[in-house]
Amino acid sequence: MSEKNKNLLVHMNGISKSFYGNKVNTDVEFTLEKGEIHALLGENGAGKTTLMNMLTGVYFPDEGDIYFKGDKIAFNFPGEALQIGIGMVHQRFSLVGNLTVLENLILGHPDNKFVINIPEKKKLIKTYMDQFNFHVDLDAIVGELPIGLRQKVEILKMLVREVDVLIVDEPTTVLTKQEADNLMQILKNIAKTGKGIIFITHKMSEVFQIADKITVLRKGLKISTVNKNDTNPRELAKMMVGKESEITLKKPRVETKPGLVKVQELFVNSDKGVLAVNNLSFEIAGGEIIGIAGVSGNGQVELADALTGNRDVIRGKVLFKDENITNDPPVKRIDKGVSYVPGDRVNVGVAGSQSVWENIIMKVYRLPIFKKGLLLNNKKLKEYAEKIIEKYNIFLPGINLPALLLSGGNLQKLIVGREMERDCDLYVFVYPTRGLDVGATEFVRNAILQMRNQGKAVIMVSGDFDEIFSLSDRIAVMYEGKFTGIFNNGDHSLEEIGLMMSGHTEEDAVKEMSNV
Amino acid sequence: MFKIKLEQKERVSKREELIITLSAIGIAFVLSGVFIALNGVNPFVALWKVITSALGSPYGISETLVKSIPLIFTGLAVGIALNSKLWNIGAEGQLFFGATFATAFVIYGPVLPKPLELTVLVIIGAIGGALWAAIPALLKIKFKMNEVISTLLLNYVAINIADYFLFGPWKGKDNFPYTPEFPIEAKFNRIGFGRVHIGLFIALVLVVLLFIMLYHTKTGYKLRLAGSSLKAAKYAGINIKKTMFLVFLISGALAGLAGVSQVCGVEYKLHQQISTGYGYTGIIVAWLARSNPFIIVIFAVFLSILLKGADSLQIAMRLPAAVGIVMQALILFAILGSELFKNYNVKLIRGK
Repeated sequence: MSEKNKNLLVHMNGISKSFYGNKVNTDVEFTLEKGEIHALLGENGAGKTTLMNMLTGVYFPDEGDIYFKGDKIAFNFPGEALQIGIGMVHQRFSLVGNLTVLENLILGHPDNKFVINIPEKKKLIKTYMDQFNFHVDLDAIVGELPIGLRQKVEILKMLVREVDVLIVDEPTTVLTKQEADNLMQILKNIAKTGKGIIFITHKMSEVFQIADKITVLRKGLKISTVNKNDTNPRELAKMMVGKESEITLKKPRVETKPGLVKVQELFVNSDKGVLAVNNLSFEIAGGEIIGIAGVSGNGQVELADALTGNRDVIRGKVLFKDENITNDPPVKRIDKGVSYVPGDRVNVGVAGSQSVWENIIMKVYRLPIFKKGLLLNNKKLKEYAEKIIEKYNIFLPGINLPALLLSGGNLQKLIVGREMERDCDLYVFVYPTRGLDVGATEFVRNAILQMRNQGKAVIMVSGDFDEIFSLSDRIAVMYEGKFTGIFNNGDHSLEEIGLMMSGHTEEDAVKEMSNV
Repeated sequence: MFKIKLEQKERVSKREELIITLSAIGIAFVLSGVFIALNGVNPFVALWKVITSALGSPYGISETLVKSIPLIFTGLAVGIALNSKLWNIGAEGQLFFGATFATAFVIYGPVLPKPLELTVLVIIGAIGGALWAAIPALLKIKFKMNEVISTLLLNYVAINIADYFLFGPWKGKDNFPYTPEFPIEAKFNRIGFGRVHIGLFIALVLVVLLFIMLYHTKTGYKLRLAGSSLKAAKYAGINIKKTMFLVFLISGALAGLAGVSQVCGVEYKLHQQISTGYGYTGIIVAWLARSNPFIIVIFAVFLSILLKGADSLQIAMRLPAAVGIVMQALILFAILGSELFKNYNVKLIRGK
């Protein structure tokens, strides 16, 4: 089949792929033109990432052909796609953590000579950063950068390679609203230079913000490809989930227990040894959710880590039920009823290479009821794990298989289920629904609300305004380690909160908005 | 023109893993054959010689088993650490240090009734190995020093300490570097099959105990979790430093037992050749066995067949002593190379 359209960059035709008997893609067709931003929309597990992994040579299709600029392509190894100009930014970044940003950018670059002229490379990369309005410290160690910045490094890496096709896999899940807007602007600029962009997402709002064309996948099947201007969110949602769904959350009034958690003049350092939490004092009542909004990297994660014992406190106190737990190690806090659903679910929330059941029992295996003399009662522990899997409706390939085989949504269900089951008094959630599909998001948000309704204190770090507004009783906006505002949900508009996230005080933000 | 095509694998089944490991060993054998052929010996004859000398007679089998005892200990030592993703390259040094400790008790301590004497020697040897392993453990925990480097370098120190005693206070009457023969109380009983001694039973009991510890106790769970993800282990409330330290102590103690078993079970004295690199071969054993205690036994025996066979090749076919080492190296090399096949589907295709 010859391609007549000169603008056509990518044509995937009749693509099918299965893993261990499960069809992940069935007879999918997909095209991308120059200068086009094409959104690939679908729920988790719809086969979006797999389809793109075939375009980049990570997997080979069982059936079907792939054409790039009119030529049929078949890759021999994953790096080949990048060589001909197809680059992908994955959800799990492929950066070397202990190298600098610059080193990551030039790593494996075909232009590298035996001796690399570092100042020249820096200059070159700076021109890319200027062109697309990126600002990343080239000498920073990648492993110490916040996730939002690491992603920029990934995109920059692709630009430096001069790709014609840039695939971004759910790029905004790790970003705040402002960062996401910024990213979309950058992507639009990139598309203007004639490159094609494939934007994998399950967020409707983003599709309408950025895409020219939209292809919807559901359960491995292509449902439809439409122009943005010919469709609407309702129609797309219907294509995506097969039925119309809307998250409704009931938020009853609850008797609060004031002062369940008291944070006093707290100082915490980041991994880099820089002050990340700078003199914070606040209280959380039992039965309330404090939503912490902010651009990522402003100390939210460090605060959550410090509250749960996963990070040392420099100065200040954390009181839990009027008991000083500031220096308690994680194990003591677990026993006292502090629960943590970390933002990094793959590396922190589970030990990926261990089995599913061993990950579910992570916080309870020490309990006397699971003892059998000197040994662990593995049978009882497995039963406990099975109970949680059933209760929280976790879909998995096998209880004895490694947890890393679980999809994002099911992994988070496992973690949330594990934590809910322990019945704690303080729950700390960090980016709880990041990257999850509608169903899993609904599950997690309901879980958070349920904790609150049961009178538990809940802190929720989130980059998703929908989440902040629909769940929080109070909202705290974090900027450079401090709260620029902490107020009841409803006291301030989205715009005012946006201003506070960029450093304005509560009063300033209100004043600024009233001037408009 | 052929090209190699790589595709990422979702996961690898136990069956595939076994096939890959066995194929790697097969390839190592073929390459060893080339090496042997280059030395002017028919590799098939050599292979037959290896098999017959190691397994062809009761004597051969018993000698193979004798060699497998220290390998089970060192394999377990390296394996337990690998379960926590810690690399103990220092089993050789811990073996020597444990042996030196036990020998010191034989020389300076009271002669106790045999069962008591042997119990004390086993305990003291284990303590010696554990102490030697405690050094890299502390260096890692306190100063984040890479344990591969520290354990490896400490081997030379431990061997030199043993040498100090052998060339100094414990020098033999004829001025050669070996201690006097141990008294009967300090000799492991033989089990009535060649030189095979009760060290074998101790090793097998430890295999079972370690398996239980790894998969049926809190300690085992903790150390495996720490091996899977340090961050997740910390998050789960596990004291990482304590766990690491404990793993090193257990690992060192097991290697120390290899030393005791050599001086009390085989050599009946301390000298420079109590180990022919058992600490290093233990690394291969543990890696081949994926750190599973029971499978460690299988591969310990497998490698001692090679060791025994290589000895015979040297004597009977005048092949260089390096043959055994080359074979071990090729096996490790092939196994490490085979990791690729566990992570990718590899296809050979006809290129353009």
